[in-house]
Amino acid sequence: MTKYSFHINPNEPGEDRINRQKDFGRVMQNYQRMTHPLYRTPLYRYRKVFLSLLLVLLCVWLVMEFGDEEATQKNKNADSLKNDSVKTEGLP
Amino acid sequence: MNTHHKTNEDLRAELAQVEAAKADPARFAVLYEKYYKPVFVFVYRRAGDDAAADDIVANTFLKALLALPRYEYRGVPFSAFLFRIAMNEVNLYFRKTKRERHVSLQQTDLGAMITETGETDSDERRRLLMRALEWLKPEDMQLIELRFFEKRSFAEVGHICGMNETNAKVRTYRILDKLKKQLIRSGGW
Repeated sequence: MTKYSFHINPNEPGEDRINRQKDFGRVMQNYQRMTHPLYRTPLYRYRKVFLSLLLVLLCVWLVMEFGDEEATQKNKNADSLKNDSVKTEGLP
Repeated sequence: MNTHHKTNEDLRAELAQVEAAKADPARFAVLYEKYYKPVFVFVYRRAGDDAAADDIVANTFLKALLALPRYEYRGVPFSAFLFRIAMNEVNLYFRKTKRERHVSLQQTDLGAMITETGETDSDERRRLLMRALEWLKPEDMQLIELRFFEKRSFAEVGHICGMNETNAKVRTYRILDKLKKQLIRSGGW
Protein backbone atom coordinates (compact mmCIF):
# COMPACT_ATOMS: atom_id res chain seq x y z
CA MET A 1 0.00 0.00 0.00
CA THR A 2 1.36 3.42 -0.96
CA LYS A 3 1.42 5.93 1.85
CA TYR A 4 -0.44 9.16 1.21
CA SER A 5 -1.04 12.08 3.46
CA PHE A 6 -4.30 13.77 2.50
CA HIS A 7 -4.70 17.50 2.98
CA ILE A 8 -8.26 18.68 2.71
CA ASN A 9 -8.91 22.33 1.83
CA PRO A 10 -5.21 23.27 2.17
CA ASN A 11 -4.04 26.89 2.07
CA GLU A 12 -2.38 27.92 -1.17
CA PRO A 13 1.17 29.27 -0.71
CA GLY A 14 1.36 33.08 -0.67
CA GLU A 15 2.91 35.22 -3.43
CA ASP A 16 5.99 35.93 -1.28
CA ARG A 17 6.56 32.25 -0.67
CA ILE A 18 6.10 31.41 -4.35
CA ASN A 19 8.49 34.10 -5.58
CA ARG A 20 11.18 33.48 -2.96
CA GLN A 21 13.32 31.33 -5.27
CA LYS A 22 12.11 32.74 -8.58
CA ASP A 23 15.23 33.64 -10.55
CA PHE A 24 15.39 33.25 -14.30
CA GLY A 25 19.04 34.40 -14.30
CA ARG A 26 20.00 31.28 -12.33
CA VAL A 27 18.08 29.03 -14.74
CA MET A 28 19.92 30.61 -17.69
CA GLN A 29 23.26 30.28 -15.90
CA ASN A 30 22.67 26.56 -15.31
CA TYR A 31 21.47 26.18 -18.88
CA GLN A 32 24.61 27.85 -20.25
CA ARG A 33 26.81 25.67 -18.07
CA MET A 34 25.10 22.53 -19.35
CA THR A 35 25.02 23.47 -23.00
CA HIS A 36 28.21 25.50 -23.42
CA PRO A 37 30.44 23.45 -25.74
CA LEU A 38 33.82 22.30 -24.48
CA TYR A 39 35.81 23.93 -27.24
CA ARG A 40 34.61 27.44 -26.40
CA THR A 41 36.03 27.29 -22.90
CA PRO A 42 39.79 27.15 -22.27
CA LEU A 43 40.77 23.53 -21.72
CA TYR A 44 42.49 24.22 -18.39
CA ARG A 45 39.07 25.16 -16.93
CA TYR A 46 38.09 21.47 -17.11
CA ARG A 47 40.66 20.00 -14.74
CA LYS A 48 39.76 16.35 -15.30
CA VAL A 49 39.77 16.59 -19.09
CA PHE A 50 42.97 18.61 -19.03
CA LEU A 51 44.80 16.14 -16.76
CA SER A 52 43.56 13.10 -18.75
CA LEU A 53 44.76 14.67 -21.98
CA LEU A 54 48.12 15.46 -20.40
CA LEU A 55 48.43 11.85 -19.23
CA VAL A 56 47.61 10.50 -22.70
CA LEU A 57 50.20 12.82 -24.29
CA LEU A 58 52.80 11.74 -21.74
CA CYS A 59 52.11 8.06 -22.49
CA VAL A 60 52.42 8.68 -26.24
CA TRP A 61 55.71 10.51 -25.72
CA LEU A 62 57.10 7.73 -23.49
CA VAL A 63 56.14 5.03 -26.01
CA MET A 64 57.74 6.97 -28.84
CA GLU A 65 60.88 7.76 -26.87
CA PHE A 66 61.55 4.27 -25.53
CA GLY A 67 60.19 2.59 -28.63
CA ASP A 68 62.76 4.52 -30.72
CA GLU A 69 65.57 3.74 -28.33
CA GLU A 70 64.79 0.04 -28.45
CA ALA A 71 64.63 0.09 -32.25
CA THR A 72 67.96 1.89 -32.57
CA GLN A 73 69.47 -0.54 -30.07
CA LYS A 74 68.23 -3.49 -32.15
CA ASN A 75 69.59 -1.92 -35.33
CA LYS A 76 72.95 -1.37 -33.66
CA ASN A 77 73.10 -5.01 -32.53
CA ALA A 78 72.16 -6.22 -36.00
CA ASP A 79 74.86 -4.04 -37.58
CA SER A 80 77.55 -5.24 -35.18
CA LEU A 81 76.57 -8.86 -35.83
CA LYS A 82 76.79 -8.27 -39.58
CA ASN A 83 80.21 -6.66 -39.22
CA ASP A 84 81.41 -9.57 -37.10
CA SER A 85 80.24 -12.11 -39.67
CA VAL A 86 81.93 -10.14 -42.47
CA LYS A 87 85.16 -10.13 -40.51
CA THR A 88 85.03 -13.86 -39.79
CA GLU A 89 84.25 -14.71 -43.45
CA GLY A 90 87.68 -13.42 -44.60
CA LEU A 91 89.63 -15.58 -42.13
CA PRO A 92 91.01 -18.99 -43.12
CA MET B 1 -14.72 26.60 -18.49
CA ASN B 2 -12.01 26.45 -15.83
CA THR B 3 -8.68 28.25 -15.58
CA HIS B 4 -6.78 25.42 -17.30
CA HIS B 5 -8.67 25.88 -20.56
CA LYS B 6 -7.44 28.31 -23.21
CA THR B 7 -8.82 29.77 -26.41
CA ASN B 8 -7.26 29.06 -29.80
CA GLU B 9 -5.87 32.62 -29.95
CA ASP B 10 -4.17 32.13 -26.58
CA LEU B 11 -2.64 28.88 -27.78
CA ARG B 12 -1.40 30.49 -31.01
CA ALA B 13 0.14 33.44 -29.13
CA GLU B 14 1.79 31.03 -26.75
CA LEU B 15 3.15 28.92 -29.57
CA ALA B 16 4.80 32.05 -31.02
CA GLN B 17 6.48 32.62 -27.64
CA VAL B 18 7.68 29.01 -27.60
CA GLU B 19 9.11 29.32 -31.13
CA ALA B 20 10.89 32.53 -30.12
CA ALA B 21 12.37 30.75 -27.10
CA LYS B 22 13.52 27.89 -29.32
CA ALA B 23 15.46 30.38 -31.43
CA ASP B 24 16.81 32.33 -28.45
CA PRO B 25 16.74 30.63 -25.02
CA ALA B 26 16.85 34.03 -23.28
CA ARG B 27 13.31 34.61 -24.54
CA PHE B 28 12.14 31.70 -22.42
CA ALA B 29 11.93 34.35 -19.69
CA VAL B 30 8.40 35.26 -20.86
CA LEU B 31 7.19 31.68 -20.37
CA TYR B 32 9.08 31.40 -17.09
CA GLU B 33 7.31 34.51 -15.75
CA LYS B 34 3.96 33.26 -16.99
CA TYR B 35 4.18 29.73 -15.63
CA TYR B 36 6.36 29.97 -12.55
CA LYS B 37 3.40 30.31 -10.20
CA PRO B 38 1.22 27.50 -11.70
CA VAL B 39 4.20 25.13 -11.78
CA PHE B 40 5.16 26.03 -8.22
CA VAL B 41 1.60 25.46 -6.97
CA PHE B 42 1.42 22.17 -8.93
CA VAL B 43 4.63 20.92 -7.30
CA TYR B 44 3.85 22.32 -3.85
CA ARG B 45 0.50 20.51 -3.76
CA ARG B 46 2.31 17.22 -4.30
CA ALA B 47 5.62 17.65 -2.50
CA GLY B 48 4.18 19.41 0.54
CA ASP B 49 7.65 20.60 1.47
CA ASP B 50 8.99 24.12 0.90
CA ALA B 51 12.63 23.33 0.15
CA ALA B 52 11.77 20.32 -2.00
CA ALA B 53 9.26 22.37 -4.01
CA ASP B 54 11.91 25.03 -4.74
CA ASP B 55 14.41 22.42 -5.99
CA ILE B 56 11.85 20.55 -8.07
CA VAL B 57 10.59 23.76 -9.72
CA ALA B 58 14.14 24.90 -10.53
CA ASN B 59 14.91 21.50 -12.11
CA THR B 60 11.63 21.56 -14.00
CA PHE B 61 12.38 24.85 -15.75
CA LEU B 62 15.98 23.88 -16.47
CA LYS B 63 14.89 20.57 -18.01
CA ALA B 64 12.12 22.33 -19.95
CA LEU B 65 14.66 24.73 -21.42
CA LEU B 66 16.97 21.85 -22.34
CA ALA B 67 14.09 19.90 -23.92
CA LEU B 68 12.60 22.91 -25.72
CA PRO B 69 14.14 22.12 -29.14
CA ARG B 70 12.23 18.80 -29.09
CA TYR B 71 8.91 20.40 -28.09
CA GLU B 72 6.05 19.87 -30.54
CA TYR B 73 2.66 21.53 -30.34
CA ARG B 74 -0.09 18.93 -29.78
CA GLY B 75 -3.16 21.10 -29.24
CA VAL B 76 -2.67 21.52 -25.50
CA PRO B 77 -1.22 24.54 -23.67
CA PHE B 78 2.54 24.75 -23.17
CA SER B 79 1.85 24.39 -19.46
CA ALA B 80 1.02 20.70 -20.06
CA PHE B 81 4.62 20.20 -21.25
CA LEU B 82 5.90 21.91 -18.09
CA PHE B 83 3.54 19.95 -15.83
CA ARG B 84 4.67 16.70 -17.42
CA ILE B 85 8.29 17.49 -16.60
CA ALA B 86 7.24 18.66 -13.13
CA MET B 87 5.32 15.41 -12.58
CA ASN B 88 8.38 13.35 -13.53
CA GLU B 89 10.52 15.42 -11.19
CA VAL B 90 8.03 14.93 -8.34
CA ASN B 91 8.00 11.15 -8.97
CA LEU B 92 11.80 11.13 -8.99
CA TYR B 93 11.81 13.00 -5.69
CA PHE B 94 9.49 10.44 -4.05
CA ARG B 95 11.46 7.52 -5.47
CA LYS B 96 14.66 8.95 -4.02
CA THR B 97 13.36 10.05 -0.63
CA LYS B 98 10.73 7.29 -0.11
CA ARG B 99 8.60 9.91 1.65
CA GLU B 100 4.85 9.93 2.04
CA ARG B 101 3.05 11.32 -1.00
CA HIS B 102 1.14 14.52 -0.40
CA VAL B 103 -2.40 14.74 -1.82
CA SER B 104 -4.22 18.09 -1.69
CA LEU B 105 -7.95 18.26 -2.34
CA GLN B 106 -11.13 20.14 -1.56
CA GLN B 107 -14.07 18.49 0.23
CA THR B 108 -16.24 19.24 -2.80
CA ASP B 109 -13.86 17.25 -5.07
CA LEU B 110 -14.88 14.06 -3.30
CA GLY B 111 -18.52 14.95 -3.89
CA ALA B 112 -17.83 15.42 -7.60
CA MET B 113 -16.15 12.01 -7.74
CA ILE B 114 -19.12 10.33 -6.05
CA THR B 115 -21.54 11.99 -8.47
CA GLU B 116 -19.36 10.85 -11.39
CA THR B 117 -19.86 7.23 -10.30
CA GLY B 118 -23.65 7.72 -10.55
CA GLU B 119 -24.25 7.72 -6.79
CA THR B 120 -25.63 10.45 -4.56
CA ASP B 121 -23.17 12.41 -2.46
CA SER B 122 -23.17 12.04 1.34
CA ASP B 123 -20.71 12.60 4.19
CA GLU B 124 -20.50 8.86 4.88
CA ARG B 125 -19.67 8.13 1.23
CA ARG B 126 -17.00 10.85 1.21
CA ARG B 127 -15.39 9.29 4.28
CA LEU B 128 -15.41 5.83 2.70
CA LEU B 129 -14.06 7.17 -0.57
CA MET B 130 -11.15 8.80 1.25
CA ARG B 131 -10.27 5.45 2.78
CA ALA B 132 -10.52 3.70 -0.57
CA LEU B 133 -8.22 6.31 -2.19
CA GLU B 134 -5.42 5.25 0.15
CA TRP B 135 -5.22 1.95 -1.74
CA LEU B 136 -4.67 3.49 -5.15
CA LYS B 137 -1.35 3.05 -6.94
CA PRO B 138 0.61 6.31 -7.41
CA GLU B 139 -0.01 6.37 -11.19
CA ASP B 140 -3.77 5.97 -10.61
CA MET B 141 -3.76 8.63 -7.92
CA GLN B 142 -2.05 11.00 -10.39
CA LEU B 143 -4.92 10.64 -12.83
CA ILE B 144 -7.52 11.21 -10.10
CA GLU B 145 -5.64 14.26 -8.82
CA LEU B 146 -5.35 15.81 -12.26
CA ARG B 147 -8.90 15.15 -13.32
CA PHE B 148 -10.96 15.57 -10.13
CA PHE B 149 -8.80 17.59 -7.73
CA GLU B 150 -7.39 19.98 -10.33
CA LYS B 151 -10.23 19.79 -12.86
CA ARG B 152 -8.08 19.45 -15.97
CA SER B 153 -9.35 18.38 -19.38
CA PHE B 154 -8.72 14.77 -20.45
CA ALA B 155 -6.47 16.06 -23.26
CA GLU B 156 -4.27 17.82 -20.72
CA VAL B 157 -4.39 14.90 -18.27
CA GLY B 158 -3.29 12.61 -21.10
CA HIS B 159 -0.46 14.89 -22.15
CA ILE B 160 0.84 15.24 -18.59
CA CYS B 161 0.71 11.47 -18.00
CA GLY B 162 2.16 10.58 -21.41
CA MET B 163 -0.93 9.04 -23.02
CA ASN B 164 -3.62 10.16 -25.44
CA GLU B 165 -6.93 11.74 -24.47
CA THR B 166 -8.98 8.56 -24.98
CA ASN B 167 -6.60 6.47 -22.89
CA ALA B 168 -6.68 9.05 -20.12
CA LYS B 169 -10.47 8.98 -20.15
CA VAL B 170 -10.72 5.18 -20.21
CA ARG B 171 -8.16 4.76 -17.43
CA THR B 172 -9.79 7.39 -15.23
CA TYR B 173 -13.19 5.73 -15.49
CA ARG B 174 -11.67 2.31 -14.85
CA ILE B 175 -10.15 3.66 -11.65
CA LEU B 176 -13.53 5.09 -10.63
CA ASP B 177 -15.14 1.73 -11.39
CA LYS B 178 -12.51 -0.07 -9.34
CA LEU B 179 -13.11 2.30 -6.42
CA LYS B 180 -16.87 1.83 -6.66
CA LYS B 181 -16.58 -1.97 -6.72
CA GLN B 182 -14.24 -1.90 -3.76
CA LEU B 183 -16.69 0.24 -1.80
CA ILE B 184 -19.64 -1.97 -2.72
CA ARG B 185 -17.67 -5.07 -1.61
CA SER B 186 -16.87 -3.41 1.70
CA GLY B 187 -20.62 -2.92 2.19
CA GLY B 188 -20.47 0.80 2.78
CA TRP B 189 -21.70 2.11 -0.56
